[in-house]
Amino acid sequence: MVTNSQEGETLPATSSVTGLPQKRFYRQRAHSNPIADHSFDYPARPEDVDWRSLYPNIGSEQQVEFADIGCGYGGFLVTLGEMFPDKLAIGMEIRVKVSDYVIDRIAALRMKNAETSAYQNIACIRTNAMKYLPNYFQKSQLEKMFFLYPDPHFKRAKHKWRIINQALLSEYAYVLRSGGLVYTMTDVEDLHKWIVSHMTQHPLYERLTDEEANADPITPKLYQSSEEGAKVVRNKGDHFLAIFRRI
Amino acid sequence: MTTIFYAEPELVLGHGRKVLFLNPNDLQIFKDIELPADLTTCGLKIAAGETNEEQQQPVGSEKAAAAGTNLEVSIVNVSYSPDRQLIALTTAGQKALLLYKSRPEHAKLLSVRALARASSSLAFAPDSSSVLVTDKTGDCYRYDCVELEAPPQLLLGHLSIVYDILWTPDQKYIITCDRDDKIRVTNYPATYDIHSYCLGHKEFVSGLALLTGTEHLVSASGDKTLRVWNYLSGKQLLQHELPAPAVRLQLRQLLPAKRFQVAVLFYDHVEALGLYELALDEQSNDAWTIARQQLVRAEAGSWNISCFALTADSIYVAGALDERLTLRVYNSSDGEQAKTVPTGWLDMVTERFADQTCVPEDLSVWFKKRYDNVSDYMERKKRRIEDHQQQQQQQKS
Repeated sequence: MVTNSQEGETLPATSSVTGLPQKRFYRQRAHSNPIADHSFDYPARPEDVDWRSLYPNIGSEQQVEFADIGCGYGGFLVTLGEMFPDKLAIGMEIRVKVSDYVIDRIAALRMKNAETSAYQNIACIRTNAMKYLPNYFQKSQLEKMFFLYPDPHFKRAKHKWRIINQALLSEYAYVLRSGGLVYTMTDVEDLHKWIVSHMTQHPLYERLTDEEANADPITPKLYQSSEEGAKVVRNKGDHFLAIFRRI
Repeated sequence: MTTIFYAEPELVLGHGRKVLFLNPNDLQIFKDIELPADLTTCGLKIAAGETNEEQQQPVGSEKAAAAGTNLEVSIVNVSYSPDRQLIALTTAGQKALLLYKSRPEHAKLLSVRALARASSSLAFAPDSSSVLVTDKTGDCYRYDCVELEAPPQLLLGHLSIVYDILWTPDQKYIITCDRDDKIRVTNYPATYDIHSYCLGHKEFVSGLALLTGTEHLVSASGDKTLRVWNYLSGKQLLQHELPAPAVRLQLRQLLPAKRFQVAVLFYDHVEALGLYELALDEQSNDAWTIARQQLVRAEAGSWNISCFALTADSIYVAGALDERLTLRVYNSSDGEQAKTVPTGWLDMVTERFADQTCVPEDLSVWFKKRYDNVSDYMERKKRRIEDHQQQQQQQKS
């Protein structure tokens, strides 16, 4: 066991080199049943959420505007926080260990960067985004929503578990403001076609043109900064991107 | 499942394969509907191996479809259209929506359409042109009542079972409530556009009713509250604590836009029903109070109550006793057994259902299983941290 050179509190699953939590202590299987009752505590309404406990420096009128749905191990969320230091971004993850990893990661990053107060604008909550988005966000609150490498749930019986489906698109449109953007990325072509088909059919979304998508500074980050994305690049897989605007 | 409601002057009672339309004032039976044991004989087409993408296919579905004719038919929901011309009923076993012409003939069958899943609630449009059917997966379908063979239109979906659905009188909104504590107000006909949510309940929401003449709604929930909302803004106006979880709600208007009688059926409680008089404050236009309340024991515990109907001064309660449908009447004023309705007549009515078993429904499943999948993990993590710190101490010394 390597002795930690740092004094004071360190999390045991923390690397002595980087001071950040190590993923191997937080592994959990990728698939999860979102329909079953997973969360046992969630707010009844957005007004009941204690945002200050997640964002210590939150301004009195400030609200979360970016949401990474199924943020996994938080790679993209961290990038988002760095790109937009004045915006509050939240990661939502249903898996207990994985969300805990992200929470620990953010805490470690904040501690390491205490002088610059960086990473105070990102947070992660363990919750079922398919059921509880309206519990956390008011109507038209969000500016951007991210669905990066969502679980494809291949079997037809499980299609209702897919995070993008006709019924849920209406709920996402409710929390997203007019002009807001939905970013979707996957390496499964079948899922990409499903997403594009459903979102195109839904009257409240229109797809961005390739020019518009490429002009967005976030687009290049979608490929690499999430752990799933980096894995796809390593395995030389395909990336399928679709960005939609909420009308 | 048993269903009972009052559509003045008729009291409608449905169970198994029969629906009776009764007149409680002169103790007559207006008309009745009896379904055949096999609905394919009256036109139901059961598609074997349905390929609709929205449906979840259980493994034995092919077998079930082939053996569809062997499934027992049992009535789930019954509803009268607002113009009283039509009667809609839904069945389980062989899942179907049946439409009958109510006048002038005696309940003439107009159409039979298959349902993908058994219904959980049913509501006619205010102009009687269509009917909404919801199911246990949270999907809500619209069936046209003018184009009787028109296939259903999927309007919206919740992620859990929808317990109640209603239209606003101007047909601009559809309001639904589900097992995930939510009340949702959706635009109509643009049902892809959600207008608002009424959030606050902490358990399943079992019933909704509009306070006609206002923009307000009353709801009852398994969280032991009765709440009044402005459904357009989503704002909660009143929260009234109930002695037990509420599993059904019925409303009667006493004074338009001002006074309403709300009745709820309790789950597993010494009193079976609670009657509450909602009154709107004279000065304001959104301050509601409970002016009066009356609890009705209805011999709770000695039989299994499933539903009830409110008339002008009585409550008709239906339930199971010794696996047979039983009907009892109580006064709204004092909760005592009503003397005005002879028990002989009640027996005669339930005798018509004697050949159908009446098994009580287990409502405990409505409550969400809240299991803690976090504490164990956090405990182990805490112990890991403590062990690690102990080891650090040992290494230092």
